[in-house]
Amino acid sequence: MTDGLMAVPETPMPTRRRRRRHSQWNGLLFVLPSLLLVTIFFIVPLGMAAWMSLHKWPLMGVPRWVGFDNYERLLTDKSFWSSLWFTIEYTVVITIGLLGVAMALALIVQGQGKAISAYRTIYFLPVVTGFASAALLWVWLSNVDTGLFSPLAQDIGLTEGRVNILANFTPAFWSVIFMVIWKMAGFYMVILMSGLQSIPTDYIEAARIDGAKWSQRFRFIIMPLIRKPFALALILCISGSMLAFDQFYIILSGGPRNQTVTAVYKIFNESFISFRLGYGAALSMVLLVILLALSVIQLTFLSDKGPKK
Amino acid sequence: MNAVTFSDQAMAASAAPTQRKGRLRYHTLIFHATSVLVALLFLAPLVWVVLSSFRSPAESTQPPIPPWPMDGFSISSYDRLENFGQSVLHYSGNSLFVAVGTSMLTIVVSLLAGYGFSRYRFPLKGLAFVLILSTMMIPFQSILTPLFLLLAKMGLQNTLIGLVFIYTTLQLPFSVFMMRNAFDAVPKEIEEAARMDGVKGWRMLVQVMGPLVLPGVVTVGLFAFLNAWNEFLAALVLLTDQSKFTLPVLMTAVQHGRYGSVDWGAVQAGVTLMMIPCMILFLILQRSYIRGLTAGAVK
Amino acid sequence: MTIKALLGGVAMAAIALPGLAQAETFSLWVRSDGSEFMPKLVDAFNAKGEDKAELQIVPVNELVQKYAIAAAGGSQPDALSLDLIFTPSFAQAGQLKDMTDFAKSLPYYDSLSQAHLSVGTYDGKIYGMPFSADASVLVWNKNLYKKAGLDPDKAPANWNDIRKAAEAIGALGDDTYGFYFSGNCGGCNIFTFTPLIWASGGNLFEDKGAKATVKTPQMKDALEFYRGMAKDDLVPAGSQTDSGSNFFAAFAGGNIGLTPSGSFAIGALNNQYPDLDYGVTYLPGKDGDWSSFAGGDNIVVSAKTDEDKMPAIEAFIKFAYSSEGQTILAKNGSLPVRADVAEEALKGLDSRYLIAAKAMDKGRTPYTPVFNDLINSLNGPWVNMLNKAFFADSAEEVDEAMDEAQEEMQSIIDSSR
Repeated sequence: MTDGLMAVPETPMPTRRRRRRHSQWNGLLFVLPSLLLVTIFFIVPLGMAAWMSLHKWPLMGVPRWVGFDNYERLLTDKSFWSSLWFTIEYTVVITIGLLGVAMALALIVQGQGKAISAYRTIYFLPVVTGFASAALLWVWLSNVDTGLFSPLAQDIGLTEGRVNILANFTPAFWSVIFMVIWKMAGFYMVILMSGLQSIPTDYIEAARIDGAKWSQRFRFIIMPLIRKPFALALILCISGSMLAFDQFYIILSGGPRNQTVTAVYKIFNESFISFRLGYGAALSMVLLVILLALSVIQLTFLSDKGPKK
Repeated sequence: MNAVTFSDQAMAASAAPTQRKGRLRYHTLIFHATSVLVALLFLAPLVWVVLSSFRSPAESTQPPIPPWPMDGFSISSYDRLENFGQSVLHYSGNSLFVAVGTSMLTIVVSLLAGYGFSRYRFPLKGLAFVLILSTMMIPFQSILTPLFLLLAKMGLQNTLIGLVFIYTTLQLPFSVFMMRNAFDAVPKEIEEAARMDGVKGWRMLVQVMGPLVLPGVVTVGLFAFLNAWNEFLAALVLLTDQSKFTLPVLMTAVQHGRYGSVDWGAVQAGVTLMMIPCMILFLILQRSYIRGLTAGAVK
Repeated sequence: MTIKALLGGVAMAAIALPGLAQAETFSLWVRSDGSEFMPKLVDAFNAKGEDKAELQIVPVNELVQKYAIAAAGGSQPDALSLDLIFTPSFAQAGQLKDMTDFAKSLPYYDSLSQAHLSVGTYDGKIYGMPFSADASVLVWNKNLYKKAGLDPDKAPANWNDIRKAAEAIGALGDDTYGFYFSGNCGGCNIFTFTPLIWASGGNLFEDKGAKATVKTPQMKDALEFYRGMAKDDLVPAGSQTDSGSNFFAAFAGGNIGLTPSGSFAIGALNNQYPDLDYGVTYLPGKDGDWSSFAGGDNIVVSAKTDEDKMPAIEAFIKFAYSSEGQTILAKNGSLPVRADVAEEALKGLDSRYLIAAKAMDKGRTPYTPVFNDLINSLNGPWVNMLNKAFFADSAEEVDEAMDEAQEEMQSIIDSSR
């Protein structure tokens, strides 16, 4: 009996171990193609970029080792810091705007029914159009002579004469903000909607019966329960906005007077307009560190404070 | 799953209290009026550009008020676009190749990786996962030049295939994350049951798991397609041969114009041409698309 | 069967080729501004002999970038028709082949455009040879002149003339404007705005591009001249954000009185807007005199281009300089670059070309190896200053813009050395 009992666990041990080793190898095999792609087309170029940041590296001509000169220079580069500052401003504004609008839309489309699913489809439609097309579309609509916005404003008597909305910072900036909200709100709406739909209705119904006002229900029941999708939306929105480029490049070309040059735009300019690849790489490294720090802060704030799973 | 339970409960809830019916109807009216108004706002720019693209050359230099053609429906904007460089069909073909290629490769690679990350343990698994996800945090604009040098070394520069590899890599963080969650959502019992029936290895992945993670696959494929179709900067920088241009690159050339004049009609036609396939694709696949996306968000 | 025969033929041709003749094919790039004359010139050349040029047209705003990246990857074209102002920077980067001997061997070397050759020379060696030419001029709308009661045949000779005419035309109605300039375009304004300064005695760079001279009374006067017209609504609102996309179209629309433009506009207007009656004159200084920006392309050869291809490239350049080549250029929007056959090439063409050709003769080209950073970049100091100053609310703001530009330009120049 005892012999038999002892024997049972002993015999499968080697096989199980062998199987685990086998499956370890298998798991790596499944993941290998993606790791290869990421290594070849991301990690290696990233390493090269770090290496390049220590050189004076013109696109045409011979690279020269300069140590940390590029980083020293960057500390006093006013245009880089102002582009970074603008990026942060933009990120704050667009994150509030996007998530606010997306939340409102999500509340509309969380229910069921033909009409509601039609709304959902329509609100989401601009998301699929791509930044280049949306920006091209917006350039046209914002054009003072052949576009829509300023002639329309003039026709309905909102402005006297045509106002060139892209000529000054404030209207130009808000025009881009509107474009991004129009184009991206649907995306965050869907993420938030999924959270809303996972809240059991009896919670809300119970609160309603207890006499909780709508705002109270929203603040104390809905918000805490959608913390996770909200955190995801927030992280995607912030890291996406910190890397904004297309809309400012296509619609405003960084103007008026360089006031809308974002951090990535500045890097693009250094690398592909001025061909100072080494300096551009150094700027990328700085941006990279900032973004990583931001993500770490967000992750610790948002996931650890919440109820652990 | 969530949606279904929710709707059942919603129906049960709305059937219960009759005394609030009047107030409910009033609320419903306000609700739908607002929703329709917002919907119109969201649709307006799209409708505007599509309608405007059919105006005559003379009209296309005027503000689009109203957007529809006043002196007859005209496809001259498309004609002028056709005459820009090689045939527009050629550039659409390039875009299509890149988009389909990217979505195929992304599906295969992320399906494998998602399965691996969800169902296997192996050394440095956590690190590998973080490594793939972390590429999302890095602006790929900053590695474009090394990428170009690298592609040149591999004989892939100035090819659409090279672009497919890069786009696929850029899709991976989202796609692998998506697919791992999709696999995580499949109960282990299903797999166990299939294993009892003697299903193993590739057959397990393709025949048993495949159908169960299909919404995820569609989402991943669709996102890859749309992003590759719409991507502009890498294409602009990495393609030096005019005959390889994708639509967005062609369109910036149209937007910059020739001899200091912009053909806004051709821009409208081009924007329409770039947007329509994306919208059609989304409308056909939206159910699994949104379902797949929300499944990823809830986890 | 047929496919097999075809393949056989190809194989034979491939084998036969090297022994047969030194027929060479070389690749050639041109910016999109040359999309009128270049294909015609290449077709004529390819029809002539065994040597073939393979042409690719590159969008104008992407040419430098594309070339540089292609060069880094080793896929640069053999020859390139390059915006002449970039010749020094390409030569400085060691990208170009020294063509001094070939250039000087040409019997008509002395008749080639001096402005082109001066920017084509770096460190005493000739790297770029004149290819196509474009001079900046002032154009005015004769129809609107008549409507406003002005003499349509009297060309403005100084800034005051321009201002007076612009006021009279601006008064015609809401949709009519006296003047136009692309207020957010560095490239356009180096072409059309600097001649106003040159003609008044100022300069933008000194010492072969080593010193920026932005802060000058002439610059200030010219900026104030434009600012005054913008402030008094003689210029349409779109100008403030026009980064060059409306540079030509604004005037072609027929509701603009005067605009500085280029000789390319003559051909484009004649072809596309035959109803527009316009005059062409020189860009004047504040109190008279005139100047012009000698623009266009230099033809350059990549440093890495195979020596075997040189005879074909040289044959192509010689063909372009022949009176046949110069005539093709002249008929399709470029001015001749060879003075001794210029008249012949322009024969039978619109007489307004002669004014442009004369402007070209006296034209100047700023010399700096960092032209792209300083002038052409959409975010560079030049366009920044112009946009700020043209639409400034006060004279102090203009001074401020000039100070900033002076400082930034000098620092870019210094850090490039």
